Amino acid sequence: MDPTLARAAAFINHLLSNPALNTLNPLKKEEQILQFLRTNAQSLVPTLASPQFFPGKSWNQILQLLYTALTRETDKVLKPQLEELIRKQISFSFVSEIQPHRIPEDQCRQQMWELTQRLLQKPEARKSLLGPVTAIMNDFAGRYLEKSFEDRQYVHFELTKVQRLRLEIEDIKHMIHATLLLRPSIQLFSEGRGTPGEGVESVLVQPQFAATALDSMKAQLQNVPPELLRGGLYSNVSFEEDKQIDATARLAAIFSSRGKNYKPIARLDRGASTPDRSWFSITRRNYKYYGFDIKMLDECYKIASESGW
Amino acid sequence: MSDNKSTVQSAKRRGNGGSVVAFLESVVIGAILLVLVQTFLEDYAVLSGWNVDIRNKLLLAGFFFDLFFTIEFLIRFYYALMGRRVGRYLTLERGWIDFLASIPLLMFNSGPFALTLLTGGGIALGLGGILNLLKVIKAIRIARILRFLRIIKIFRKIKNVSSPMAQRHVASITAISVTVTVVCLLFFTFFSTTLRINGLDTAFSDQQAATADYLEEKTNDPGDFILALETLRQTRTNLLIVKYRGQTLFSRFSNDYYSQSFAPGDYSYLSRDGLELFFDQRSYVSQLSRESILFFVIVVLVVLAYLLIYSPHFALTVTDPIHVMRRGLEETDYNLEVKVPERYQRDDIFELAKLYNEKYLPLKDRAQNEEGESLIQLDLAEVSHILPEEKES
Repeated sequence: MDPTLARAAAFINHLLSNPALNTLNPLKKEEQILQFLRTNAQSLVPTLASPQFFPGKSWNQILQLLYTALTRETDKVLKPQLEELIRKQISFSFVSEIQPHRIPEDQCRQQMWELTQRLLQKPEARKSLLGPVTAIMNDFAGRYLEKSFEDRQYVHFELTKVQRLRLEIEDIKHMIHATLLLRPSIQLFSEGRGTPGEGVESVLVQPQFAATALDSMKAQLQNVPPELLRGGLYSNVSFEEDKQIDATARLAAIFSSRGKNYKPIARLDRGASTPDRSWFSITRRNYKYYGFDIKMLDECYKIASESGW
Repeated sequence: MSDNKSTVQSAKRRGNGGSVVAFLESVVIGAILLVLVQTFLEDYAVLSGWNVDIRNKLLLAGFFFDLFFTIEFLIRFYYALMGRRVGRYLTLERGWIDFLASIPLLMFNSGPFALTLLTGGGIALGLGGILNLLKVIKAIRIARILRFLRIIKIFRKIKNVSSPMAQRHVASITAISVTVTVVCLLFFTFFSTTLRINGLDTAFSDQQAATADYLEEKTNDPGDFILALETLRQTRTNLLIVKYRGQTLFSRFSNDYYSQSFAPGDYSYLSRDGLELFFDQRSYVSQLSRESILFFVIVVLVVLAYLLIYSPHFALTVTDPIHVMRRGLEETDYNLEVKVPERYQRDDIFELAKLYNEKYLPLKDRAQNEEGESLIQLDLAEVSHILPEEKES
């Protein structure tokens, strides 16, 4: 390994070994370290630019080096997790049900895995993966769908009657998980900012932008059902802008945002509402700002309240 | 260098001093718990008819406890005096409880009893007309219960009492309630004694005086006197001993029985021109013990009710919502709402909590989203070993 990169890796590993980060998932750790570097740039520059570390390099060059080392370290843990998720945990048996012509499940998986690796290459897309990955790991979709299908209210109606999914609840969950993984692919069509770690986690895009991106993705990923691609890309469009967005896409947008804000709580303060209930309550008031479907938020809020989540 | 050394040494001294004070405070807390048990047992022993030896030992234990707390009060008072904070000690730090539950008890309750026991006497406590005094002495004893207020701090570990504000409020309201109960009891006892309001004590006194008068009339005729004694033996079962000019003319029980069954205060003594009468007043002492236990139980239940019922209620409706809102305002990534109980939603604190939930948190959430950053859980200390030390100005 390049000695400069080895020094960067040593520095990054030292930061990663901090016990404060132990409970976080790899992408969250990465976000924390990038934020730490940016916030403390002024204090770190004199030392990191010294002969002991990266002599003669500017802060941007140092940051780039550290970012490279950081993503390598993160990928060592993250890639196996994502591969396990795509190859084993998410069942793609639903793909043949949502479109007329048959798509081999294995090829669909393979293209999803290749796409995910592409996403990891682009800082903005990589950052956008935090919410979806956290949401899948914590199975938000599974938990809320189960309750929703028991009550057969708005979410159930939207999925089964409006989107007309003739799937088992488990398959719908996998479909939402796949949609979540596709959601950051909108970032492949945005211009990068160049500075590692910067960039907004998720931005709402216009329906036309999503439509253009969808056309391009369809051409690139022929073994991924267009319905699934549409869900992933349109989950970045505000529901206020387009009332035709699939229910799976709307749910993916909500769970991705929840995943982004998710923080495990060891002990809930007395007098405080539960984390999910608090989050849905706050998000209901900001639903226009985030472009969410208010009725879905209402239902999830009700489920969270009743379930003590 | 020497400065550093002396600082370290003084810190060590402070540390040692601190641990000694903590140890002494623990001893005091232990003594308070024990004296409460002793107070209860002293009365329980009367009601259960425990052996006089045990009752005397309990009385002596009470004396030593009161002596200990008197010394403790004097030491605290001395240090408060030296620190020019007597007013603060007596009021805010509840020194008045230390005073009421020590010196008056030693002087008017356990002290005289202990003196009687240690000198082998007993007559002094049985002097005629002592019933009212006995009642007052017993009432003063209830001041010991005030010590409950000193140990409230050991209940801090109880669920819901972790907030200093909740602790202070619960301690204040408990102090007020217990003090009012004790003061009412003391006031009523003094009031009824001073105004001679008729009660069990006056009935006992009147009966004893009437017996003495009756016998005194008969002293001129020995035949009538013997006949009167025989009548009294059958009708006045509380008449224990009759002596005339130093000679015992009547004794209901043997001396062994008296020594085993009568503790100081269990009998009274009347004297009229060479006539000496001893009366059994154990039934009256039992009545006083019953009342004492009743007040003791009332105070214990009041204290427990405040700690276990009012304290959680106070936390639920005041300190918990404040705690959640304070964290939300202070911590970047704390976004939990305040839980608003439906039945209290019109309380001012929950009206405020609703604004916090419905206005502040959504705004905070949007601001955070626009900044796109979350709370960093790392700080520069993590890499302090590679950073140059800052030069002191």
